[in-house]
Amino acid sequence: MTPQIEFSGVNKYYGAYHALKNVELSIKKGSFTALVGPSGCGKSTLLRSLAGLESISSGTLKIAGDVMNKVPPRKRDVAMVFQSYALYPHMTVEENLTYSLRIRGTPKAEARKAAEEVAATTGLSHLLGRYPRELSGGQRQRVAMSRAIIRHPKAFLFDEPLSNLDAALRVHMRKEIRALHDRLGATSVYVTHDQIEAMTMADHVVVMRAGVIEQQGRPLDLYDRPVNKFVAGFIGSPAMNFLPAVGSEDGRSLVVDVGAPQTVPISTNVEPGRKVIAGIRPEHISVVAADSGLMRVAVSVVESTGSMSYITTATRPELAIVETGRTDVSAGDLIGLSFAPQSVHVFDAGTEERIG
Amino acid sequence: MSDTYREKLMLAIALVLAAIYLFPLYWMYITALKSGSAMFATPPAFWPTDPQWQIYGQVWESRNMGRYIWNSVVIALGAVTVITVLGVGCAYVLARYRNVWVDIGLFLILMLQVLPASLMITPIFVGFSQVGLLEYPRLAVILAIAAKSMPFFVVLVRATFMSVPQELEEAALVDGNSRIGAFFSIVLPLARNGILVSAILIFMQAFGEFVYSKSIIQAIELQPASVGLNSFMGPNTNEWNNIMAYATIYVTPILAIFVLLQRRIVSGLTSGALK
Repeated sequence: MTPQIEFSGVNKYYGAYHALKNVELSIKKGSFTALVGPSGCGKSTLLRSLAGLESISSGTLKIAGDVMNKVPPRKRDVAMVFQSYALYPHMTVEENLTYSLRIRGTPKAEARKAAEEVAATTGLSHLLGRYPRELSGGQRQRVAMSRAIIRHPKAFLFDEPLSNLDAALRVHMRKEIRALHDRLGATSVYVTHDQIEAMTMADHVVVMRAGVIEQQGRPLDLYDRPVNKFVAGFIGSPAMNFLPAVGSEDGRSLVVDVGAPQTVPISTNVEPGRKVIAGIRPEHISVVAADSGLMRVAVSVVESTGSMSYITTATRPELAIVETGRTDVSAGDLIGLSFAPQSVHVFDAGTEERIG
Repeated sequence: MSDTYREKLMLAIALVLAAIYLFPLYWMYITALKSGSAMFATPPAFWPTDPQWQIYGQVWESRNMGRYIWNSVVIALGAVTVITVLGVGCAYVLARYRNVWVDIGLFLILMLQVLPASLMITPIFVGFSQVGLLEYPRLAVILAIAAKSMPFFVVLVRATFMSVPQELEEAALVDGNSRIGAFFSIVLPLARNGILVSAILIFMQAFGEFVYSKSIIQAIELQPASVGLNSFMGPNTNEWNNIMAYATIYVTPILAIFVLLQRRIVSGLTSGALK
């Protein structure tokens, strides 16, 4: 089956600035793909070149099998939801929804009917006569989504659509967008800087940095086997702990330096003396009595939210530990840390690539 | 000094300044209504005891003001049309593209704005006479005014366009519109107020324009009201009441437009700036 969207060898230059570097990405029909990365990583540029708002400097972009490199946005049959929603302020909600249909010459009655149908599914029926300025943030967001779905496009493009909403609404809209995607059987590409959004919503997560796709795959695969230190640190919250370490004599353990050298077992082979970085997720560390466990550390800060306890150690570099529920550990205590050898990720100290 | 006292003092100063500034206007209105002898009375009367209302009709008839005003309207409307049609496109491009050439263009445009009409008239006159434009004096004046006022319009309207978010245009493109279609259906309606206000300001400027009209238009039947007013005044003029009546008829419509629209004009002028 041909992929719905396909980037092959795509580069984008702004003058001398290389914004997209040899991007290879193929998106299946009906999938929900999230492009995620820090600001300036090129994820928005990638989305905008998919929409046709930016041209690509080299490579091929195909939508539904057709080369789109030189095709203007209006002929690409994609719909986009902008960060600012970009609702037309001088048009009512209904006019906003039917704008694309009216341009294509859809008869008035038909356009109206389509708007009513879409509005019914997104809960906007009672707002069709209003102007965007009279709506709340969440309602505007829904109008922007409805304007996209009214056309049944080949792909939906989302450019950080939730970043202007408050936290509670964001969590709610996350589910709503995903449910809508499933109901429509649509192909969606979703740009976000929030890895939680990417992890929770997408089938396929693409992590980008400085114009390069660092890793792509299913969300939990990225979580379980990050290919380098950047992806490891970017996916997961709170972020993974990184500790400088060297391979020990037996090749099956690392000597970790957190102030005092401590030996921890790992599940891969590392040559003795090789300089590496050990990564351990905060949620994979458990607190045990000070005289047992793999490491012995002092506690510097304990933060409790009731459901979770966040412990920070007094080591250098400091370690973050997440315990479910409550903890009786308090600042200044000496505690033992324990974790499974499989949960230690090992990266080369120089290239930061994964080992094993 | 207490705040309320300070406020009252400021208000008093403002009123005095406004009075000084508006006094000539006031004097124009009351002088027009005075009779010949009242006009030269010492001390002068600040309120006409015997207002001569019939003077407006007389001046209108005797000076053939209908023709002059008509010429002024033709010239002003022509200039506004030329400026709006050409200036809107220019302002849009200058608002949407940012590079060295655009900056140079903007600088040149602002430079044009600095040159006074009395300096420009000689080269314009020579140029127009060579291409034969002086055969159509009103058109020549329209073009001259358009050239003179275009920078002002472009700078104002550019600010308006810059306040229209580019994402709206992009949304329209993705929604299936062409660049031109997006401009007409999205950008232009949103910039309408700023364009209208700028056009009204240009109209008012052009309606009172004097230097170009005086120099270019020789035929009396084609002259606008500003030139007509000027030719009313000679070295030995003593019919000030008639001149003031002429001036009253000439400026009152403009004043009325300004007073009616001043709130919108002020907000239109600052809408781009306050973003």
